[in-house]
Amino acid sequence: MGTSDLLRHQIIKSLPLWQTEKISDAAVFIWEQMAIQIISIVGEGGFNSLYSRSLVLTQSTFFWLEFDPHSTQTKHRFAELKMCLEGQTPEHASAANLLLLITFTDILASLIGEQLTTSILRLAWGYDAADSASKEIY
Amino acid sequence: MSKKVKIHRLKTGVPGLDNLLGGGLPEFSFNLIAGTPGSGKTTLAHQIMFSLANPKNRALFFTVLGEPALKMLRYQQQFPFFDVDKVNESIRFINLATDLLDGDFDHVMSHISKEVKDFDPRFVFVDSFRSVVQTERSREKSGSDLQKFIQQLGMQMTSWQATTFLIGEYLSPNSESSPIFTVADGILWLSQNLHRNSMVRKMQVVKMRGQAQAPGLHTFRINDQGIQVFPRAIIQQGAKISTGEVRVAMGVPGLDEMLGGGLPAGYSLLLVGPSGSGKTILATQFLAEGVRRGEPGVIAAFEKSPSQLLSNKLHALVEAGQVGVIDTRSLDLSIDETLHDLITMIKRMQAKRVVIDSLSGFELALAPEFSEDFRGSLYRMVAELTSMGVTIVMTSELEDRYTDLRFSPFGSAFLADAIVVQRYIEIAGQFKRVFSVVKVRGSEHSKDIRMYDIKDEGIIVGKTLSDYAGIMSGRPTVSP
Repeated sequence: MGTSDLLRHQIIKSLPLWQTEKISDAAVFIWEQMAIQIISIVGEGGFNSLYSRSLVLTQSTFFWLEFDPHSTQTKHRFAELKMCLEGQTPEHASAANLLLLITFTDILASLIGEQLTTSILRLAWGYDAADSASKEIY
Repeated sequence: MSKKVKIHRLKTGVPGLDNLLGGGLPEFSFNLIAGTPGSGKTTLAHQIMFSLANPKNRALFFTVLGEPALKMLRYQQQFPFFDVDKVNESIRFINLATDLLDGDFDHVMSHISKEVKDFDPRFVFVDSFRSVVQTERSREKSGSDLQKFIQQLGMQMTSWQATTFLIGEYLSPNSESSPIFTVADGILWLSQNLHRNSMVRKMQVVKMRGQAQAPGLHTFRINDQGIQVFPRAIIQQGAKISTGEVRVAMGVPGLDEMLGGGLPAGYSLLLVGPSGSGKTILATQFLAEGVRRGEPGVIAAFEKSPSQLLSNKLHALVEAGQVGVIDTRSLDLSIDETLHDLITMIKRMQAKRVVIDSLSGFELALAPEFSEDFRGSLYRMVAELTSMGVTIVMTSELEDRYTDLRFSPFGSAFLADAIVVQRYIEIAGQFKRVFSVVKVRGSEHSKDIRMYDIKDEGIIVGKTLSDYAGIMSGRPTVSP
């Protein structure tokens, strides 16, 4: 994964996630916040399709990130993700989660556009994270 | 002062639609946008929503089980009216699919209520409402649940002071018995009709409570900018009729005298003649004379494409911005679309003269289903244009059979206030051109048949053929 000037990528990298020791809890929290916004717009079906595809693409780099996203109930949508991340070193877990988030949002952006995707992420994660990322860019 | 409630009409932002609705959408109304798949319902809803929504008047767009929301957002963004900056602050998209799959109407209703309460929108859209109806039917429940839901939704939205739009796939207004048709204050029906190889989109305001909508079917287009409606021309009562007192110079020396002092302003003149008889040249002189007198003109040129635009003289007038040209390259036009373009150009240029060159080309450029009613549509169009006070010259090509006297292949001569006929005759082994003024309504005019020639400077009117008989047979003889 190369460096990117995309504001969305910068927002993801600036999330208060990568410094924490409990990377799996923080990751699930971030995913849940994002899922609420995306599901409210495109529905469960839309979100699940994007999530499955992102997992398949990320597995080529992190083979251990392998589970069936449809097997878990809606309420525990990210339970399997959490388990996978917990089994890894913080560095590996952090890198895998970063790639998964970027892959997921890349697909979303390719479908509904960069501007709308970034707008949804701002709503999901609050404007502070996005604003600090944008200050770093400009 | 009257204390009766006055309904505020909202401008939809869709060109031409407000005219159809009778001035705009009634505020707080409960509307149905219905039609066949692909007829443009979702696009129309988005165009209205993005036009109306702002931070003070917000909009909620509920998606159900129709077009997947991801795809809808993807495709609607291709239109310039989709302003991403309005999303979240002024417009929110909410998916109701899970509520509908999981539970019953109470679930859907309570989710809608919660979102409306939280976001406090002035506009609410539900797409596709047909999905809600089908889900209800598939559960084999009685229609009373649906009826209750619709009435509750209608009441709640009005109480919340929201103007609501339900979007749904229905086949035709007559074949449906859904309670929504009774409850809705307004019904917009969109359709696409195939006729031979052409497709024409049409819109009908089936119902719009409290105001007089334009009746009948109206054509519309979906282009790169979105939807544009072309309201059908309807002849207005008490439209201005030319008295014939003011005359318009034709720009052909001698012709004005034959017309009784020029063509009465606000008249339509039909110029009929065979190929090569100089119809376009005469029409160009008519426009050039207008320009010379400070009267801009507009030409709808159906005979040639703009790139090979007619004569150098006309080309120069167009280049100088003194004559406007209507783009007529499409072969699926409706008369109303052409009329809309003409009126827009006439108003923009403050034009006084209009040329339609030719009716034959015009008929060819229309979608086949409009060709069938060409005469009726042309009548409405000429009436609309002349009521604006513009003077019209229409050319019409007519094969010269020499055995009968016809003025138009479309039977359209009756709608012209004046008629000039050109034809070829044979004299001394040569083809000669002759013309005559056949009709000028309510005015004296010359009955002469005169020769004319076409030179570099234009049409030169020649002598009267008073020494000949049998001219209209094409082979005149010298009178004894």
